[in-house]
Amino acid sequence: MLPGGSAAVRLGIIGCGAITGTAHLPAALSSADVELTALSDTNPARLRYLQRQHGLGPIVCGDYREAMRRVDAVILALPNHLHTPVGVEFLSRGIHVLSEKPLATTRDECEQLCHAARSTRAVLAVGLVTRFFPSTELTKRLIECPLLGELQSFDYEYGTAGGWAALSGYTLARSTSGGGVLVVSGSHFLDRMIYLFGDVEVIGHCDDSRGGVEANSETWFAATVRGRSLQGRVRLSKTHQLGNRLRIVGEHGVLEVAEGQTRSVTHIPADGAFRHEITALRAPPAGKEPNYFQLQLEDFVRAILTGAPPMVDGEQGSKSVALAECCYRAATPLHEPWSEATLERLSMAAPARG
Amino acid sequence: MSLERARRVLVTGATGFIGGRLCEVLTLTGAFPFRALVHSAASAWRIARFPLDFAVGDLCDRAAVDRAVRGCDAVVHLAWGDHAVMQRGLENLLRAAVDQGVRRFVHISSVAVYGNHPPADSVSEAAPARPTDMAYGNEKLEQERRVLRHWKRHGLNAVILRPPNVYGPYAPFTVNLINKIRSREVAIVDGGRNPCNLVYVDNLVEAILLALWKPEAVGEVFFVTDPAVVTWEQCIRDHAALAGVEVARVAATALVPPRQEHILRDSLRALPHVLADRDLRHVLARIPVVRRAERLLYSWFQSLPEETRQGIRLSLRGPQRVQRNGAGERQFFSDETLIAAQERAVAHSSDKARRLLGYTAPVSYDEAMRLTEQWLRHAGIIARDGVPEPGAGRVPP
Repeated sequence: MLPGGSAAVRLGIIGCGAITGTAHLPAALSSADVELTALSDTNPARLRYLQRQHGLGPIVCGDYREAMRRVDAVILALPNHLHTPVGVEFLSRGIHVLSEKPLATTRDECEQLCHAARSTRAVLAVGLVTRFFPSTELTKRLIECPLLGELQSFDYEYGTAGGWAALSGYTLARSTSGGGVLVVSGSHFLDRMIYLFGDVEVIGHCDDSRGGVEANSETWFAATVRGRSLQGRVRLSKTHQLGNRLRIVGEHGVLEVAEGQTRSVTHIPADGAFRHEITALRAPPAGKEPNYFQLQLEDFVRAILTGAPPMVDGEQGSKSVALAECCYRAATPLHEPWSEATLERLSMAAPARG
Repeated sequence: MSLERARRVLVTGATGFIGGRLCEVLTLTGAFPFRALVHSAASAWRIARFPLDFAVGDLCDRAAVDRAVRGCDAVVHLAWGDHAVMQRGLENLLRAAVDQGVRRFVHISSVAVYGNHPPADSVSEAAPARPTDMAYGNEKLEQERRVLRHWKRHGLNAVILRPPNVYGPYAPFTVNLINKIRSREVAIVDGGRNPCNLVYVDNLVEAILLALWKPEAVGEVFFVTDPAVVTWEQCIRDHAALAGVEVARVAATALVPPRQEHILRDSLRALPHVLADRDLRHVLARIPVVRRAERLLYSWFQSLPEETRQGIRLSLRGPQRVQRNGAGERQFFSDETLIAAQERAVAHSSDKARRLLGYTAPVSYDEAMRLTEQWLRHAGIIARDGVPEPGAGRVPP
């Protein structure tokens, strides 16, 4: 039983942008384990829209502090730079927090959040939802068994021309997002990569940021798997389509997981004659895709009620933030001859500076 | 505005491919301070690489346009969209420019104002443009007239640039051409002897920079083209080499003419295919009146004699065309954009831009194609060195 005598966890959602409208709010409303008691955003029109869309009662508030009296737990879906100041306020009052990814914009901020959670024994979970895909666990099990033999390399690509955008546009400024494509598109994979291969090291990173947020990046990582070095490359883009898949190469074949391939993985033996679609015995049947945001929320609630750790806790969520930080520290400019080769000639077309 | 440097330039269409490159050049050269007018954050990634001054707004929203223009003393108008954006959006921008004392307005038009059959004298801009059967060209022509009206009536220092096919990194022309060569929708028509009328994006950017401050530019219309006259044959062949495929050659007389559209007959023929879609029928069945009508219609149809039912089926579906074995000559359609464009026999000249603006077109065709190739490989549109194209489905050794 929770404080207030309620059997269900009283949940607030702080920040009502695109991801709340499409994922968190529907998940919260369809979950029997939570009672939605607060919905907060600084944009009153957005709040009114969501309230009318879902027929919600008088639970909305413009200031998240008003929600504090009404909730046991919150989902933080704010611009990234606000995760820490707002999250620390909730955690310090013993209110459990499920933070959208990335947990924060820096490793220091992550530590502040983890410290606040430890000091009040509140649950701090991170919304790295792709961990709930059966294909993630399946990949981990398959690379741990002899199927691929010794692992030789991995390669991950994810790129779209534009694509998902935050309603507020906060992802377009480093000060509010903490980074560019590596953070916005790459956070999920950085987390999965650590989950699959253990702690990884940044060998090199280049991107096309010129003082703003990078739209393209290429990073080389090294891990140690079963005592042997494994190297891989991660390529991300917000300006063009890429292969959008993870490929792990072993001595006996290749394992591929396409983006959005949630239930299965593809195995291509080294002789290349067949492709095998592998699913876990307990995988959900085709056509009955679970709502992974709901699974994530239920995992968060289970952690609150039982004291067991959530799927991705604050410490784990901090690792991908720390890794992104390492990438940015190692960053060198992406070589873009098509952008730079003609600049000197073009500068002649401007009037002389007076 | 004379030789004075603009305090701040507003770039509309800043997330498009020309606008994106202009913003890159303005930032990296420091040529002019500027503000980027952005319609959607989703497409702004290319320019967000720089610490930019953004304004977010819709050109059709007068208040948003006023806010975007505030503090700018020059405008480069590159945005395009539907009729409302092209005309009402432009009108909003022109009014805001006049009201707020903008001293230079550079409008990017197109050689499409002459349609697909430009008059022989349109080698120079002096040739009058008239509405044609090309909707995009007509929109551009109406825009030019609007801009010139504001110059004449309100003294707005306007300049109009008319680029032809703009190619280079991120260019839709380049990417479309590669894709259509790959999907074999494009052929070289009649030896591809007509001029392709190209301008490399950086050459166009040079012309924009000059148009922003050259006093001689005001009230003028300029073609902006590459100096080298490249034929369609060369252009298609060079792109086909990048794509790694052969391109067919056809005579203009062998092109398949566009089929005359008959709204009623074609709609009736399309309807059964649309209604055959199980998902659509499932959705429509949520409407009780549709459910009832479908049942009645089905019962009535089933009550007809077999031969009548077959007759109705045939007239609704039309004859089925199956390519017979051995008759596999690829067909090319004369209304395909990149085929129709090969009929343009005129090479528009940028002599006037050279004389009045000092336009030099600093990037040659060969260099431009080299830089374009490097970008195409980087973007994975053509195979990167040693790395298969995305979706190629090949497994590395």
